[in-house]
Amino acid sequence: MELFLFYLSAGICAVSTAMVITGVNALHSLLYLIVSLLAAAFIFYLLGAYFAALLEVIIYAGAIMVLFVFVVMMLNLGRQTIEQEKSWLNAKMWIGPSLLAALLLLELGYLFAQGQGTAIGQQVSAKQVGIALFGPYLLAVELASMLLLAGLVGAYHLGRPLERP
Amino acid sequence: MTADALIALLPIMVVAGAAIVVMLAIAVRRNYRLTVILTLLGLVTALATLPLAAERAPLAATELMRIDRYALFFIGLVLATGVAVTLLCYDYFAKREEQKEEIYILLLTTLLGGAVLAASSHFASFFLGLETLSVSLFAMIAYPIKERLPLEAGIKYMTLSGAASAFLLFGMALIYAEVGVLSFAELGRLSATADFQPSVLIGIVMIIVGLGFKLSLVPFHLWTPDVYQGAPAPVTALLSTVSKSAIFALLLRYFVVSGSYSYESLSAVLTFIAVASILVGNLLALLQDNVKRILAYSSIAHLGYVVVALITGRVLGSAFAVEAVAFYLVAYVVSTLGAFGVVAVLSVGGDEAETLAAYQGLFWRNPGLASIFTASLLSLAGIPLTVGFVGKFYVFSSGVNADLWLLVWTVVIGSGVGLYYYLRIVLAMMKSADGVATAAVPAAPAPLVGCLTLTVLVALLLWLGVYPGAFMEMLQSLSKTLS
Repeated sequence: MELFLFYLSAGICAVSTAMVITGVNALHSLLYLIVSLLAAAFIFYLLGAYFAALLEVIIYAGAIMVLFVFVVMMLNLGRQTIEQEKSWLNAKMWIGPSLLAALLLLELGYLFAQGQGTAIGQQVSAKQVGIALFGPYLLAVELASMLLLAGLVGAYHLGRPLERP
Repeated sequence: MTADALIALLPIMVVAGAAIVVMLAIAVRRNYRLTVILTLLGLVTALATLPLAAERAPLAATELMRIDRYALFFIGLVLATGVAVTLLCYDYFAKREEQKEEIYILLLTTLLGGAVLAASSHFASFFLGLETLSVSLFAMIAYPIKERLPLEAGIKYMTLSGAASAFLLFGMALIYAEVGVLSFAELGRLSATADFQPSVLIGIVMIIVGLGFKLSLVPFHLWTPDVYQGAPAPVTALLSTVSKSAIFALLLRYFVVSGSYSYESLSAVLTFIAVASILVGNLLALLQDNVKRILAYSSIAHLGYVVVALITGRVLGSAFAVEAVAFYLVAYVVSTLGAFGVVAVLSVGGDEAETLAAYQGLFWRNPGLASIFTASLLSLAGIPLTVGFVGKFYVFSSGVNADLWLLVWTVVIGSGVGLYYYLRIVLAMMKSADGVATAAVPAAPAPLVGCLTLTVLVALLLWLGVYPGAFMEMLQSLSKTLS
């Protein structure tokens, strides 16, 4: 049964990612991307990596993607965009991502109904993740911070508004 | 982590610290000259800590990095290249952007990524180093944001680099799924005892695909000419030297340490890549009229030569491969820096000096720069008395010793074709200076810092070409430390 759950969520992940890259509308793509990240989080959960699943939902699906959606919506201020936003709210727009997300919810509900929080792999707790990160992988954490610094400086430079001549 | 490990990591930590110091200095007060001086100071300090680290080597600083003399040699190469690129950037960016200080932060993080790659012995540090290198390079390529070509080049590099990283990660995941370890040494130990053929082999091939993109080897080379042409000339110099040599150092370490030489089918893949890179790179360079594009195609061919040296390690043993690869990379870095350095110095005044027409009659207008350019081009072509000749000799003799005649003949044909387009640029420089030439390039006074840097590079190029003995001995002794 766990295998079936795995393949189902992997399928959801693949389908929604395909929808992300084929979508024409940025907002539509973002909705599918959130579903894709949720599906990945569910796979982590199935594998016993609860902490990774949690972070995937909170940080990627929660913080970053919702931020993207907000930014996309905020950029479209003004009267004529209200019409556009109304058109975003039609069923064609949200039914796909909602269905896929509902499937994921069903899977999660099934797992909870089983009562044991079954996992295919080995369970990894948050404490173990922390010990690994600040033990053998300490250098990786430091390097990741430098990688973020490089990305930040680059984004700051490239994204800065151009002065009008 | 022990104190010894911290001291061994000093060169890398100093570069990372320098990036932060430069960033804070910019945040307090924007001063172009101060930024450059701080950058140079950081790089020189990092170079000065290399002997300290060498006393502790070989040493594993956690599982992620292995500081041995091989790693320190390539860290030294990366940092020295960084010094040269900083000096070339100084004049180039001085009059261009109104916010030009940030490029030095990005330069330092690029070098940090390269240094990490040279020392990494684990998939995690491998990937993080590579991403640090690439992410910094995206921004550096697109740095002149008001212009069209750099932005286009940056976007191209970013998109394709992302795809390559996906391949790389997939390859790593396949290997991890099969073997269950991430460190190269563990991987080598386990695959010597058990047979993991299909998925590990597929994983390695995917890693080669990912790295082949970054090294611009042939089936994955399509981005190279556009990005080389679009990027500002000093950044092109950085892209074609630091990222290539650091990534190749990592590839070689991976091959030796993880025991990938034992897969016979892998040689066939690499042979195809080498032959295709040499032929395609050299033949397409013939069709170009843009100096930057010619040099881009020539760098594709040069990386093909290095792959030949990598393949022969299977027959001749890793020590000889390390020696040949290290020497060829040094030769390639010195010559390429010289060539792109001249382009950068000539582009100081205004537009990029990239068309062949811009070089017409350079010998009569600026004999010094023209001689430097000629020396670099001859070294890239592999003419005796330059370092390029010794490098090519290494590749050639390793091919002959390993009885890989297909590769030897490809190298010979490639070098022959290569001579033609290098000499084409030299010939253009010798033509008379009337008409087009003076109109194409405004007569700006040649900047002092850049010219001095280039002089040092050419001196190195000739010295290593005439008297390579001492350097070869050093490489021989360090080649035995990689295992």
